[in-house]
Amino acid sequence: MRGRKPRRDPVPDSGAFPKRPYDLVKEFTIALLATVVLTVGLAAVFSSPDETPVTLARWARIAPSDFTATAAAELAGTSGTAQYGPPYNNTPGAGQKIGPMSLQRAAGVTIPINTARDFVLRPLTAAPKAASVSGALAAWRTAPARRQQQWATAYADALGKAPGGDAARLPPGDYGPVPVLISRLLELARAGALDGELVAAGHFYQTDYTKPLLFLGDGSYLEDQARARHLAGDQWGMMNETGNYPGQPWLWLYTLWYQIEPFSSSGNADALVWGLMALFTLAFVLVPFIPGVRSIPRWSGVYRLVWRDYYRSHRTARRH
Amino acid sequence: MTDGPMHPGRVLAAPVDLGGTGYYIHWGVLQISAANAVFIVLMLIVFMLALLLPFPRGRQRR
Repeated sequence: MRGRKPRRDPVPDSGAFPKRPYDLVKEFTIALLATVVLTVGLAAVFSSPDETPVTLARWARIAPSDFTATAAAELAGTSGTAQYGPPYNNTPGAGQKIGPMSLQRAAGVTIPINTARDFVLRPLTAAPKAASVSGALAAWRTAPARRQQQWATAYADALGKAPGGDAARLPPGDYGPVPVLISRLLELARAGALDGELVAAGHFYQTDYTKPLLFLGDGSYLEDQARARHLAGDQWGMMNETGNYPGQPWLWLYTLWYQIEPFSSSGNADALVWGLMALFTLAFVLVPFIPGVRSIPRWSGVYRLVWRDYYRSHRTARRH
Repeated sequence: MTDGPMHPGRVLAAPVDLGGTGYYIHWGVLQISAANAVFIVLMLIVFMLALLLPFPRGRQRR
């Protein structure tokens, strides 16, 4: 390259930069102390979000009609969870896809859930019960599946038409043992027993809230609570925290896609957004190999701002 | 237990309560909480300061 005029500034020799001793341990200690003081200080001044937990008991007490309608849908197998597909069940045709590829089905059913059995019948069987409830459970279990479906669907339809969704104001109909089962489940939920029944057992720490959360998510109460706090998917909810606390602004690109077409109206939005973000992530990892994009730092000249002392002295030295 | 002036919850409560109804800025399809907007502005300010503030010059600099 000697004898040719370079088209751009050559890469500076690292030995040409001024040097001075630097105490890395001192900097680490100062940074750690500053972070601790800042964290403790901000926590003391602003505290942290402290929302009342949304439990099955609270739901059943505050919105019994919604709870009853959801429990009937769980029994009929028509709820969101019952028809979700993998990882909970094998509902035909369910599952999000990217083109012909069904990512949701590929993983299979890893958390098997039968909503009638797990959310309604098993908790009722495990709890102390009156003879009427035992009889209703026996009637349900001995009935053919088609008959069970007819009872539960008739009950759910009647609830939808009843004033205020009130189970006490249903017209007479062929509901079989469903009213007794649902009424007892509501009692258990109001007492707080259903929360305990649905939390996964068998672990030292009972922290697996999958079932109560799915049951709650099938109703409209949880979504109403989330929407009131700007936490819904179409409210950029991923970025937000309750109240006036800052949330996760770094998730803006992920949640942006859910606000615009075609993602906002697509039944495959989760799979499509995941695929798109995976592509972006790959592109970001490969920045050093993408012509043009890899040159943006050089074109932007921000490095000249950071190392302005060097470039100022370098320019002056070249002039002389 | 009453919620009187000597209640420990009152004594230990944070002086600034951010738990009320959130304030949100709407602009077309964009929607952002005021708290997030403030944080983004603060991060931009810190970034600009990191670029523009001169490096500390030690006495032993050669």
